[in-house]
Amino acid sequence: MKRYWIKILVTVVFICIIISGLGWLFVKLIPDPPLKELEEARVAISDARNHNSVIYSARIFKESRSFYDSAMIAWKTENKRFILFRDYERVRKFAVLSEKKAAEATKRTIAKANDMKANLSQDLSRLNEEVNTFQKIFSSVPLPQEMKKKNAKGKLLLKEAQIAYDKGQYVSGNVKISEAGEYIVESYDCARSKLSDYFRSYQKWQDWARTTINESKQNNSYAIIVEKVPGLCHVYYNGVRKYTFDAEFGENWMGDKMTRGDDATPEGRYRITKKLQNGSTQYYKALMINYPNEQDLAEFRRRISSGSIPSNAKIGDLIEIHGEGGKGGNWTKGCIALTNSDIDTLFRLVPNGTPVTIIGSSSPLNQIMSAN
Amino acid sequence: MKNRFFLVVATVAAVALMTSCGKVPQANIDAANASIDSAKTVQADIYLPGQFTALNDSMTVIMQSIEAQKSKLFKSYKAPKAKLIALKAQASQVATSAVAKKEEVKKEAEAGLTAVKQLLADDQALLAKAPRGKEGKAVLDEIKGELSVIETSINDAQTAFDGGANYMVVVDKVKAANDSLTGIKTELDDAIAKVHKRK
Repeated sequence: MKRYWIKILVTVVFICIIISGLGWLFVKLIPDPPLKELEEARVAISDARNHNSVIYSARIFKESRSFYDSAMIAWKTENKRFILFRDYERVRKFAVLSEKKAAEATKRTIAKANDMKANLSQDLSRLNEEVNTFQKIFSSVPLPQEMKKKNAKGKLLLKEAQIAYDKGQYVSGNVKISEAGEYIVESYDCARSKLSDYFRSYQKWQDWARTTINESKQNNSYAIIVEKVPGLCHVYYNGVRKYTFDAEFGENWMGDKMTRGDDATPEGRYRITKKLQNGSTQYYKALMINYPNEQDLAEFRRRISSGSIPSNAKIGDLIEIHGEGGKGGNWTKGCIALTNSDIDTLFRLVPNGTPVTIIGSSSPLNQIMSAN
Repeated sequence: MKNRFFLVVATVAAVALMTSCGKVPQANIDAANASIDSAKTVQADIYLPGQFTALNDSMTVIMQSIEAQKSKLFKSYKAPKAKLIALKAQASQVATSAVAKKEEVKKEAEAGLTAVKQLLADDQALLAKAPRGKEGKAVLDEIKGELSVIETSINDAQTAFDGGANYMVVVDKVKAANDSLTGIKTELDDAIAKVHKRK
């Protein structure tokens, strides 16, 4: 009986060992999924997303996501098969590719974000400097309203770009700064080109002014030099500047007067022909000048024949230095306006025949620009 | 007979043990996903991007752990199930917070719009009072043009606000307009103060 139980026990132990061995073998044969690779891919994607790769390296980030999704799909497919027949090699490959792409996306994102940040910072400084240095002179240049609006839009976008930069939103900041740059540069280029075209006559203005001042010196008499860009009217006696008054001109002051009604103030060498006061002028007191003179008439005819002005255009007249000025800006129909007290002084000083020379500026453009 | 009975019971118990925890918690997965979708619907991705990303990250981790269980001989979904239940609750919490955050930003945008409109009106009133001395008119015309552009930008921001768009964009637009208007106000105040000083 005892022997019987021993036999049973040995048999049971033996069977248990066999079953355990088979079980161990079975478990050992079950393939392991690439958990480590999948986890690394997931962490890399999460890291890339946290670095805003969705924005800065969208394509590579998308590829990384696709590889991860493929890995998950392949894993699910394999898990549906009989446990011993599973093969996770494709899952591993996709996971590794996904991790590599995500790491690449992060690397590129960091580089791109740094570049964008640096570019944005540089553009912000450049445009702010441009606005600060050119804005004052820009205000006085007669430009189309559309151009002035573009400038204002540009300045507002510049502020929005600064806000985006402060928030670390470099992509939208770069979009805004590029738009702002277009508006600002276009409007300033327009003003710059208008000014530099205008200053092509600078040498001629200098010659006129010098001749007028010399004449005042030689004749021991008064002479008037009017500068349009700074808006000044200088009074010389015996070749020496005695007075300087603020002056206002026609709204379209930049350039020579072309036709009647163009609201431009003529440029050239003139003389006072008549002194008007006591109701003979609507502008308090006035000094009429001999516009158009012979050169103006010749130039007017040349412009008509060249077609630069319409053939039925008429030449302007009745240009004066008059009172009622000090309104600010340029508002006359082409005359030169002084304040009533200034015209009083001038009226008292200068007789008929006094030379009046109207020029753009006595200083060169670069000096005016750097002064502003 | 007795031995056979015990054998059957043992087999049933073993099978039950092996399969009792082996069912994918699909209902919990669907519920968690629905909760994350609800959070997105209330724009949690815009107003609480960090928290929303964390939800998605957690979901990915859980899905990975579920798949890992599927790969095993003895599966247990107890832990992923518990995590899914927690995630669902967390997503609901994020959705609630997103609604609150959106409301907060909306109020900020609304207050900003009111303030910036008032500032625009103040600047327009100051513009009327501003001295028109030398270079004055040109500068005032310039400012007038700028105010008109800023007014258009404010109107755009108001339209975006009324349309219930991203209120954060409205806040940024309002801030830029506010900065510009404050600059113009300072310029006009200075010009007016100078004239008063001379008097």
